[in-house]
Amino acid sequence: MKSKHVRAGVVLGSLVALALAGSATGQSTAKIWTSDVVADRQRLMKLNGASWADAQAKLKAGNAEAVAVNAETMALIATQITALFPEGSLTEKSKAKPEIWQKWPEFESAVKNYAMQAEKLRDAARSKDLAATEAVAKEFGRQACGTCHQPFRVPPPQQPAPPTR
Amino acid sequence: MGRDAAGLLVALLLALAALASTASAQVPSAADIARGKYVFGATGGCGCHTVPKHPANAGGRRYDGPFGTVYSANITPDRETGIGSWTDEQIITAIRLGRRPNGERLIPVHPYTTFNGMIADDLQALVAYLRTVPAVKQANQPKKISVPMFESVFLPAWLAAFAPKETPPTSAPTSGTARGEYLVRAVGHCGECHTPRTMTMATDNSRFLAGNPKGPEDSEVPNITPDKTTGLTWTEEEIADYLATGNKPDGDVAGGLMGEVIDGTLAGYKDLTKADRLAIARYLKTIPAVKNKIGK
Repeated sequence: MKSKHVRAGVVLGSLVALALAGSATGQSTAKIWTSDVVADRQRLMKLNGASWADAQAKLKAGNAEAVAVNAETMALIATQITALFPEGSLTEKSKAKPEIWQKWPEFESAVKNYAMQAEKLRDAARSKDLAATEAVAKEFGRQACGTCHQPFRVPPPQQPAPPTR
Repeated sequence: MGRDAAGLLVALLLALAALASTASAQVPSAADIARGKYVFGATGGCGCHTVPKHPANAGGRRYDGPFGTVYSANITPDRETGIGSWTDEQIITAIRLGRRPNGERLIPVHPYTTFNGMIADDLQALVAYLRTVPAVKQANQPKKISVPMFESVFLPAWLAAFAPKETPPTSAPTSGTARGEYLVRAVGHCGECHTPRTMTMATDNSRFLAGNPKGPEDSEVPNITPDKTTGLTWTEEEIADYLATGNKPDGDVAGGLMGEVIDGTLAGYKDLTKADRLAIARYLKTIPAVKNKIGK
């Protein structure tokens, strides 16, 4: 079970790394991102959510160290977020609010805050200090994810059933 | 002459001291204020009275209804523009009966028909806490009622005919599902957003907490009855965790208005004790399951 998590983390991490490498060299990132930017960012956020759920499950089991790979994935995901919100990219499926582009600097700083919090979580996890990691994790949902979700996303109306366990 | 003035001054000071000592007999204790802050958090931080990222409790948040537009009131202890010059009794009357000190009715966007179910001690503590929040001088914005005779005719009739009325228990239940019921129905006023409304805009309590496709600020509010396909299927532990952290079991995180009330302003749902959060979760598992799909 644990090795599955780690493997998933490695796969996710390398995907994001690939995307980063692509944008760094100025090459087309079409191999990672499709032409549907809304679908792309929703895929990325699903991955983000999976990483966070996984991190919480590990913490509940008392395994702080293993959270580092999830936190690193989230920190890398954070670097991709703003690029996936070109102005006005709203479709029926998108839960993004137009406020994103009306308050772009606020959106950018919320994303930057997210990256910083994810790094903080990663560093706490790397130190193998369970209490310190739990302390960051306790605030993470509200203060890392929430600062963006609250003002800039329409909440999903239905609570999806938790994944099979 | 000078001595007379001095004598008068002493007499005045004595009178003041006497007044102060009678007043101090009613000064709330630190424990009262702490309890009040807890109640404040349990309401979601009275969040409607704060514009996000602006001073807490200063009001001015806009609410559009079918009858017009209202703005939440300044509930800081500012004497001129807030509630600083109101007596405790007047504030409590406004909270649970919806009357201003001048007798006017509040528009029931402030859910007094629900807060009516709060017990006196909790309200008294809440008022004690409200008086400790920094005063903000910010005049209330006038409401704009677009329906003729709304306040003189429609509102009293509506209140008499349709408004659900909670009856306060004599003392607040301290544990078990009764505690959860009190927190959900009265203090937390969950039904204001999560219960669908009828044609008259009264909450439809025959479908209590079954979700509202047209919630406040255009939000789609989920069904949190225990219905297996359209309701809340999280475990009690997951619900309790969510109220403390905003974390959903699938890795998503609360946003929008729910995120706001969890976070609160000066306090929020997140500050509830684990016992209270579990009591809420347990109570939510006991209410009738209602099939009502919200959203696509």
